[in-house]
Amino acid sequence: MTLFKQIALMLSLFLLIILATVLILNFQSANKGVQDRLYEDAKNTATSLSLSLGSANGDLSMMSTMINANFDSGNYRHIMLVDVEKKNLYDRVTESDITAVPKWFMSLIDLKAPIAHANVSAGWSQVGILSVQSDATYAYKQLYAILIDLLISFTIIALVGLVTLNLLLHAILKPLKEVQKQAAAITRNEFITQNKVPYTKELADVVLGMNNMVSKVKAMFDKGNEELKAHKELEYIDQDTQLRNRKYLIDRLPAYLKADASYEGGVNMLISLSGVIEANEKLGRQNVNKLFLKIADVFRENTKGIKDSIVARINGTEFSLLLPNYSNEQAIELAKKIQLSCKKIINLAELNSRETFISIGLYGYKYSDNITKLLSRSDNALAQAKFNHESIHLEKAEDAVEVMGKEAWKLLINKAIEKDRFTFVSWNVIDTKTKKLSHNVLSINLTLDKNSSYNYAQFMAPAIQSGLSNSIYKKIVDMLFRNSSMILSASTYALRLPHEYLENKETYHNISELLRANAALLPFKVIIELPDRLVRQDSKLIREYIELFRKYNISIGIFEFIGDSDDYQYLQDLRPVYIKGESSYFLTQSDQSLSALRLITDTVGISLIAVGVTDLETLEKLKSRGIHIIQGKVTEMLNI
Amino acid sequence: MFKLKIVVLLSLIFSCSLFTDEPYVDKSLLNEITDKHGVFAKKRFFFLQETLDSVKTKGDLEKLEAVNNFFNEVRYASDMKVYGKNDYWATPWEFLGNDKGDCEDYVISKYFALKHLGVDYKKLFFTYVRSTNFKEPHMVLTYFETPKSEPLILDNNNRKIFPASQRKDLTPIYNFNGDMLDEADKNNEKSHKKWDELKLNMQRKKI
Repeated sequence: MTLFKQIALMLSLFLLIILATVLILNFQSANKGVQDRLYEDAKNTATSLSLSLGSANGDLSMMSTMINANFDSGNYRHIMLVDVEKKNLYDRVTESDITAVPKWFMSLIDLKAPIAHANVSAGWSQVGILSVQSDATYAYKQLYAILIDLLISFTIIALVGLVTLNLLLHAILKPLKEVQKQAAAITRNEFITQNKVPYTKELADVVLGMNNMVSKVKAMFDKGNEELKAHKELEYIDQDTQLRNRKYLIDRLPAYLKADASYEGGVNMLISLSGVIEANEKLGRQNVNKLFLKIADVFRENTKGIKDSIVARINGTEFSLLLPNYSNEQAIELAKKIQLSCKKIINLAELNSRETFISIGLYGYKYSDNITKLLSRSDNALAQAKFNHESIHLEKAEDAVEVMGKEAWKLLINKAIEKDRFTFVSWNVIDTKTKKLSHNVLSINLTLDKNSSYNYAQFMAPAIQSGLSNSIYKKIVDMLFRNSSMILSASTYALRLPHEYLENKETYHNISELLRANAALLPFKVIIELPDRLVRQDSKLIREYIELFRKYNISIGIFEFIGDSDDYQYLQDLRPVYIKGESSYFLTQSDQSLSALRLITDTVGISLIAVGVTDLETLEKLKSRGIHIIQGKVTEMLNI
Repeated sequence: MFKLKIVVLLSLIFSCSLFTDEPYVDKSLLNEITDKHGVFAKKRFFFLQETLDSVKTKGDLEKLEAVNNFFNEVRYASDMKVYGKNDYWATPWEFLGNDKGDCEDYVISKYFALKHLGVDYKKLFFTYVRSTNFKEPHMVLTYFETPKSEPLILDNNNRKIFPASQRKDLTPIYNFNGDMLDEADKNNEKSHKKWDELKLNMQRKKI
């Protein structure tokens, strides 16, 4: 219960108790007043009537007449005359019939009209005692009217009081709400500084304290951000040519060599400059460096229009141009163009083009290759090229033995979408420090029947090639939210959504509709994993997704993180629950770079998770680098 | 022998109860009266006690006589003079302490003194009368031997006690007895405005 509700409840209760007490006291006072009035009236009548009776000189008939006259003209319940020996001389009683007052009221208010007495004498002698009791009917009516009036006025006062109380509390506790908002934002790792310091001293101290804390954490984040940016330059950029380096290529390659890679394959072009020693002797080191810069410009210029291409300097004389979705023919054409441009530059530098020349090895890679294979085959192609007359050699990837043809896959996948043949499988992500399950990662299988099924890696590549990947994701996202009973455990499940699916025009609308209808009913917690390459763009689409997921309390994770951003502010804005990177990425980062990343992630409460951990040796290395949450085959060897 | 012992014991208890009769004015109140009204006031109360003690075992008439004579020695003074009020019913302690008062004060003091002496209060009435001599309202204490017998008039103007038939100068207007009215309705604390005020002042030991 909020503080506002507690105070409001307490004060309202207090107010109502006070009002009820005042009402009761008021009513009791009115009751007593009415009873006193009843007695005073009776007493006045008794005294005046007893004086009148004195003039009757003890004549009972006269006295009876006088009593009758009085009784009939006023509101009396009982008038009685007794003699000195207490013998009844005369009395009159009226049976009151109170219809104007409800019976519950009469039973609630036991109104006893007091009896007033007066001595009656005739001359010197005693006649007796006169007793007069007023009729309570009028008093009941009066009291009932008073009660109704009191109830009406006190109800109005109570309503006005409660409304005023509510408004006052809102005004008084308004700064507290701001403080609460700031505190909640801090809990969510948002850094809000409250400029309006509350007037109330205690709250002002809290706000100033929180502002101070926020500014310190923000400063830490900014420091981490700056450091990481600086290290990125050192880690991934070749200082001479400003091209990417070998490490960058290695860290980025996993995104190209996977089942659900955006491209089926492409060409890796390995370019080597021979005769650098001779060039150094002839031109001097500075001029050779300039030559390298010009050659680097050629590479940049020629790959500018190739989407997702990577140009990296592998070592002092070798460069790699990764050309995704590029055919062998296109690559050879490009290689020739580059060769020609470089030859011109070499000639312009007045170098002997027989001594100083470039060799280009081309390897047509497939998504299914691994990094080692890609690099060794590229090296092989370059070695061949160096002995080749044209200095260009293309090494083609072996045609994989396909289980079935493209069309057969297309048919199978389309049928699977239509017949709901996808099933979820999940993998553990384990926190080795606490020895607990961090969450489950969802993957999908395409199940044909009880005995045969295809895993994600098998069917996803043909699906991408057939342009069906978005349809598959649409199907499984629908399954996740609509048929959540498919996943029985009430744990946390993460689902990775690829770049292409998220960028699809219909996806946002579909997901928002699904969440609107089903998010509240989900029996488990969902984490949607978004690719780092997409989220760091800070596009309108990404902001919309983030807003949508936050609205429905869906957490966000980042995958394929390699720390390749120009600014890490997006991590603070996005506040993912974790960042997933390849284990090789965490292992090859410098200590400074990793500690800068940790500074950023720790200040905003982001966990670092290493994926693709296959053996215990890697696991230990990761642990020694402070990466304790692990995803990959090794989790099967761990007991939790 | 045993019977004799019982008789002696009982007679001792009886004699003790006689000697321990409560005085009309207790010691602490008497000290307060002395502090306020002086040593002569104390003496007046001492003489009152003596007077009351002297007739304690006598009949009603002797008691009436003694009380009437004693209080009629007090000087008459209007309420305005003594208390600065038009009409005020003084307690017996105020009346004898001040050694002055008006007709109601004589009646009140006589009533309570006689009640103290054991005279049945039902025989005593505060009687509003009209004095034909002074042509003004007046109050006397009346004593009825029986409810229907002719009352005796204890008046501060005419110091002797006379039967009502011999007081042609007085016209009776109204009798009342506060204790009787109180007794008629024990639940009600109120019976007569002036009487109620007096009772309160008596409870507070107003001197």
